[in-house]
Amino acid sequence: MLTVDAVDVFIQASHILRSVSLGVGPREVVCLVGRNGAGKTTTLRTIMGYLRPRAGGVEFRGHPIHGRRTHEIARLGVGWAPEDCGIFGDLTVAENIEIATRTRPGGRPATERIELAFRVFPMLRRYAGRKGPELSGGERKMLSIARALALDPELLVLDEPFEGLAPAIIPAVSEGLAAITELGRSILIAESNIHHVPEYTHRLYVIERGAIVFAGAQEDAWRDPGLARIIGSAT
Amino acid sequence: MLSGVFHGSILFLVSAGLQVVFGVQKIFNLACGSFYALGAYVGVSAVGWYVGAGGPPALFIAPLAVAGLAVGAVGVPVERGLLRFVYDRDETFQLLLTFAIVLMMEDAIRMTWGTSPRSTSGLYLTYGRVGVLGTTVPVYNLIVIGASLAIAVLIGWLLTRTTFGWIIRASADNREMTEALGVDMRRLHTTVFTLGTALGTLGGALVIPATAAMSEMGIELIVEAFAVVVIGGLGSMRGAFVGALVVGVLRSIAISVYPELEMLLIYLIVIAVLVLRPRGLFGGPPA
Repeated sequence: MLTVDAVDVFIQASHILRSVSLGVGPREVVCLVGRNGAGKTTTLRTIMGYLRPRAGGVEFRGHPIHGRRTHEIARLGVGWAPEDCGIFGDLTVAENIEIATRTRPGGRPATERIELAFRVFPMLRRYAGRKGPELSGGERKMLSIARALALDPELLVLDEPFEGLAPAIIPAVSEGLAAITELGRSILIAESNIHHVPEYTHRLYVIERGAIVFAGAQEDAWRDPGLARIIGSAT
Repeated sequence: MLSGVFHGSILFLVSAGLQVVFGVQKIFNLACGSFYALGAYVGVSAVGWYVGAGGPPALFIAPLAVAGLAVGAVGVPVERGLLRFVYDRDETFQLLLTFAIVLMMEDAIRMTWGTSPRSTSGLYLTYGRVGVLGTTVPVYNLIVIGASLAIAVLIGWLLTRTTFGWIIRASADNREMTEALGVDMRRLHTTVFTLGTALGTLGGALVIPATAAMSEMGIELIVEAFAVVVIGGLGSMRGAFVGALVVGVLRSIAISVYPELEMLLIYLIVIAVLVLRPRGLFGGPPA
């Protein structure tokens, strides 16, 4: 579904990503783990079209998307929930979700998409009339993912969905993500805390200093002492 | 008082254009004054052509409003050809560019219409006068006040009830995230800038029966629009409405009581707002 192939990304003169490759298949949950500054967000922002790779390419459902603009990538069916959540503070919770059905019409009916978003994160239903600034960090994370889901995407790209959450709220977000995978959507998660990687993750990539140093099953990563040191300290 | 409300109505149109452009594009568009002047000159020409072609004078407001709105299309080449290159630049570049547009348009207006003031010669009182609150006012003033109120309501409806309005409010908050929901920001910027320009040109066209078009009228209006934005709060549409009313009425009171105080009084209020409520009456909390 998504293939990132030997991507090199520069930000000004700094070489941030070095031949990064990863893949997400249909109905897969894939986690990209690395320390702060390792290149996780840069990888996701490159997929979303905010950054252009200098070399390599990104394909989504067989179409190259690395030269496309962000709104085109979104319309192809990629939902994005950034690390800072990107909640629209002037819109209510309900409007934040509904707007995604208006900006990418077609496909499933809007009412069905909105209902689905609320079903995955039922806690949001209680705050439907609240505006962004009135939400807690966990509620903002859930709303960000719910809005990406309301876009009716094939793939959700989530940057640090568990970061800064109170331990009590993490299971609610994790259950929401599990429910999304059961709907048949693929998910790519960037995570700096290995302990937050959901157990239903199909494949793990470890990124260190802009390069992928591991690709495989989560349990295999722990068997490599060098790698365990990286992901063990990736908090 | 009502002449102040009339002036405030015109000022609201221009300030609303300024606010919507700032909200989405984060550019303080000094050229809004030039668009106002352009609308005034095009309005004079349109009405002159209309009357010359034998159109009934009672309907002169129709070609005036249509010309005022239509010339707002100049926003498309200005945004596509100039502004889009400075979105990611420092605010200083943006201000310098919009000020350069002010100077260029002033010269373009002089080259096209000459340096003498232009007016619609006598059409102002076509609809007569009417007594309101113990004073007589031209009916035209009341029409413009009504039109501005209708536009304010329309803008409110647009922003809260339509998809376009939701997108404007969302992109004012977070441009990148709006794009990730499938919104073509280039197209949105062009649309919003043209809308802002059309509000300015419409304001210029509507004011013209009451005053003469002069090439420097744009600069004068920028100063007042700046006061409106400071009083009302940058980026706030409600702020534009209240700020324009405050500036219009204060200016009118000053002119009738002590004309030398006209601008001073407005700037005393601006200073008071800056000291007591730096984000304006309706400005949002710091980001």
